[in-house]
Amino acid sequence: MKQIIKSLLIVLLVVAVSLAQGFKVKASGEKTFNFEDKKGRNQASFFSTTPLEDITGVSNAVKGKITFNVADIKTLKGSISIPVSSLKTGIELRDEHMKSKNWMDAESYPDVTFLIKNVSDIKIEADNKMQIKATGDFTAHGVTKEIVVPVTLIYLDESEQTSQRAPGDLLGVQTTFKIVLSDYDVENMIVGQKVADDIEINVNIVGSSAM
Amino acid sequence: MNSKQKYVIVLAVILIAVAAILWLTSGGEILSKDGIWVEKPMTELDKVLGQQPQLEFKEQFTLGLLPHTAVFVGLVVFISAIFFYVFKSKKQRRLNEANN
Repeated sequence: MKQIIKSLLIVLLVVAVSLAQGFKVKASGEKTFNFEDKKGRNQASFFSTTPLEDITGVSNAVKGKITFNVADIKTLKGSISIPVSSLKTGIELRDEHMKSKNWMDAESYPDVTFLIKNVSDIKIEADNKMQIKATGDFTAHGVTKEIVVPVTLIYLDESEQTSQRAPGDLLGVQTTFKIVLSDYDVENMIVGQKVADDIEINVNIVGSSAM
Repeated sequence: MNSKQKYVIVLAVILIAVAAILWLTSGGEILSKDGIWVEKPMTELDKVLGQQPQLEFKEQFTLGLLPHTAVFVGLVVFISAIFFYVFKSKKQRRLNEANN
């Protein structure tokens, strides 16, 4: 009887391991990636388009951490945030307006944050590359909404090439998604005229497991 | 309309046409811009990591309809109207003097 239970447990373990979808890389176990790059090479940008004006804004002050078991991406948890004060649109006066109480209110709500709660729709494209749908809480202007964003992840084991950027293993994260400003109580009169209600957000970041 | 007034109108039309051509060749933007966002060259490692080109701000004036082109066209129309009136007034004055 004991042997049967033992065999069943082994089978269950093998099934669980084979069902787990993760990276097939040299690294193993749980890894935490830090996305704070002191050289400002990680970037998040937004794009607004209206018939009157196109506005692009960027931040190179992305911060946050993601943790997951390399062999099972469903264990992924973490958050990424951007200080509102770091956003630049190329016009200083416009930046001041954007951070003011009428817009993003950087003083009261200093960060825009995405807290990852779970991962689904995993599509493995290569041993070190996969596309996932990350479900999480997106917080902006003090309002939190659950959203689902498509994310591309690329894992690189530490090598001479990766050390040019940062020590440790590297995780490349790329995502593009849209948010609706009015969902986050940003309802300035100018929204819809010079600033679109639908804002496209683009995130290009690389995290290191050794930072 | 005398010949001077015709010259004023022709000159105004030429100036407005030049402004319109300059505006259209600058991209036909509604608002003037002090700079543009350009894509930074990517490293091989960035490409391997699936990154997209990052943006950096480059100072470069782009002529827009507002305010520069509109202000210029407005000034041309305003000054032309003044000259048109002045020349018309001189002719009128001469006619009045002749009648007297």
